[in-house]
Amino acid sequence: MAKRLVSSSMLLFLTLCGVASVVHAHGERNQEPFLRMRTAHFYDVSWSTPQVAVNDEVIVEGKFRLFEDWPANLPEPEITFLGNGTPGPVFVRTESWLNGQPAIQSVPLKLNRDYAFKTVLKGRIPGQHHVHPMVNVEGAGPLMGPGAWVEITGRASDFKLPIKTLDGTEIENLETWGVPTVISWHAIWVVMAALWLTWWVRRPLLIPRHAAINDGNARLLINRSDLAVGAVFIVATVALVAGGFLWAEETYPRTIPLQGGRAVVKPLPKTDAPVEFVVERATYDVPGRSMQIRASVTNGGARPIRFGEFATSGLRFVNRSVPEAVAGVAPNYPKELVPPAGMVLSDDAPLAPGETRTLQFDMTDSAWETERLTSLLNDPDNRVGGLLFCFDDQGKRIIANVSGSIVPIFKDLVADTTMNH
Amino acid sequence: MSAQIQEKNSHVTLYGRRWSKENASISRTFDKLVVVIIFIAMAAAFHLHFQLTVGDWDFWVDWKDRQYWVTATPILLIVFPAALQFVLWEKFRLPIGATVCMLALTAGVWISRYFGFHTWSYFPFSLVFPATAIAGALVLDAVLLLTGSGLLTAVFGGMAFGLLFYPGNWPLLAAYRLPMEAMNSLVSVGDYIGYAYTRTSTPEYLRFIERGTLRTFGGHSAVVSAFFSGFVCILVYLLWWYIGQVMSRVVTVPNRMKSLMGLGDRPDTP
Repeated sequence: MAKRLVSSSMLLFLTLCGVASVVHAHGERNQEPFLRMRTAHFYDVSWSTPQVAVNDEVIVEGKFRLFEDWPANLPEPEITFLGNGTPGPVFVRTESWLNGQPAIQSVPLKLNRDYAFKTVLKGRIPGQHHVHPMVNVEGAGPLMGPGAWVEITGRASDFKLPIKTLDGTEIENLETWGVPTVISWHAIWVVMAALWLTWWVRRPLLIPRHAAINDGNARLLINRSDLAVGAVFIVATVALVAGGFLWAEETYPRTIPLQGGRAVVKPLPKTDAPVEFVVERATYDVPGRSMQIRASVTNGGARPIRFGEFATSGLRFVNRSVPEAVAGVAPNYPKELVPPAGMVLSDDAPLAPGETRTLQFDMTDSAWETERLTSLLNDPDNRVGGLLFCFDDQGKRIIANVSGSIVPIFKDLVADTTMNH
Repeated sequence: MSAQIQEKNSHVTLYGRRWSKENASISRTFDKLVVVIIFIAMAAAFHLHFQLTVGDWDFWVDWKDRQYWVTATPILLIVFPAALQFVLWEKFRLPIGATVCMLALTAGVWISRYFGFHTWSYFPFSLVFPATAIAGALVLDAVLLLTGSGLLTAVFGGMAFGLLFYPGNWPLLAAYRLPMEAMNSLVSVGDYIGYAYTRTSTPEYLRFIERGTLRTFGGHSAVVSAFFSGFVCILVYLLWWYIGQVMSRVVTVPNRMKSLMGLGDRPDTP
């Protein structure tokens, strides 16, 4: 019976090993839709190269807007940190900037404002890695931007991260800096502990000693040598600690505490969008994987505009009839994030200055499903959010916020099919 | 005469009691088994406690600050040593409880840092090396040996446990507190290591370091923190010495079920 159980377990394990596929990305689609649609909207994101060698750099840069219609159940971005969504430290981050300011410390950011970011990553662990820009917001967690695959080639053992300290110390590689000292001191203390324990465990231990205590012979368990060894250990331990401390002070006379302050970064200048976008009704056709937004749009600017792109959760629904919008998608931008059908409008004619028109925006693609944005229906706060990129007749881009309630439409496919027959 | 020699050869005296050699040998084997089991159990349990309480303060080089790391670590570390010291001292007169705990913890954390943090998650040892508290444990054990008193061990040993932690770790840490310039900002080497090696879900603002006004004590935060830690260690030691006492009592529960099942009305034997 036991044999059969073991062999069945082994068979099950091997079968699972055979059918399991390798996971490459890191669960960004698991983030709830309200987080991805109504917090940080990343745009103009670029990756300098899809392939780097170990020790070479890839630059991820772009912009993000902290959405005006920020979910009420999340704390506002009073403490944030510009991170990078990579599978752990497969890259080393050598620089990160927010609006040209260093982003090594955490910063408060403002809602409905835009920030330009730049992160320099140095290849460390070879492999195919999914690389996202990311903003961490205290209380809200990591907010991921779009991800692209970057391959690191070469050998991990060749990686080095050299720096020079302000006192002139040249550190050849931060990976190994100080580690021999750490290991040596741990070894010293382990030896000290082992000596102390050996002194005691070399004698009969548990039952005889307990019996001696029960017999009233506890005084026989500790002798003068034991006391002397105890005293020696106290002196030796304190001397070793003091000696180590003095050695460290002598070796590293100029040290500073950890830097735990907060930085201040001003947002990009605000350009009030002369486009007013009022959602009248937004629906999501569940089986059709189609989002439809009917909105009243007013052009408050001085020039006619067209609607080029709806961006949400890293997806870019591009209106193919607007050349500026099509040109805005770089050739190496992740294809899976640019749905082929794009955005289709009920009326594609330019919106004249001062004109108000009701338009139907249609974004239909399986990406809603693959990006798991359909689980929006399970959220307690069913609202859609995104950025609408408009272009005037001179090619100038205007970014408007889009947000409103969304209503799901459920269809009984079997019934429909029967009726069609 | 030969019977006497035979008797002498077949017995040994251990701490005033005569043991047959066979029994003494079995007892020694028992010692070895228990030592191995205690070490493994302590490595697992103490390490778990350490991960859950001290946690990030010990995981990362850029969390080992002069204030919270220095204060919290000894206070949270002294609990297991105090409890085990009671058991091993009161039941066996062995002043090794603290050292056993700390040695087991050292084994546990290095296994975790090597396999979990370094091999599995690619973090370099310069970021994830653990602190050591063996110095404090040795003093704690030696004070118990010399005084034979839980109270005096709490007062002198507990205070020493808190005080020795920071200077005992400074030789490991000082190299990571050299100043450097990164992106026109002043940071320590440890700050930069923590910045460079991405922890996706551990952003910078989660670091609970150098907060508050303790630095106004002439800038000697670490000294003030160490004394405060030592003081709290005294209290925590006493509490856990008592917990060790309670947990090592052998208690039996009267078996009322027996009489309910009609298996006799004799009084239960404890």
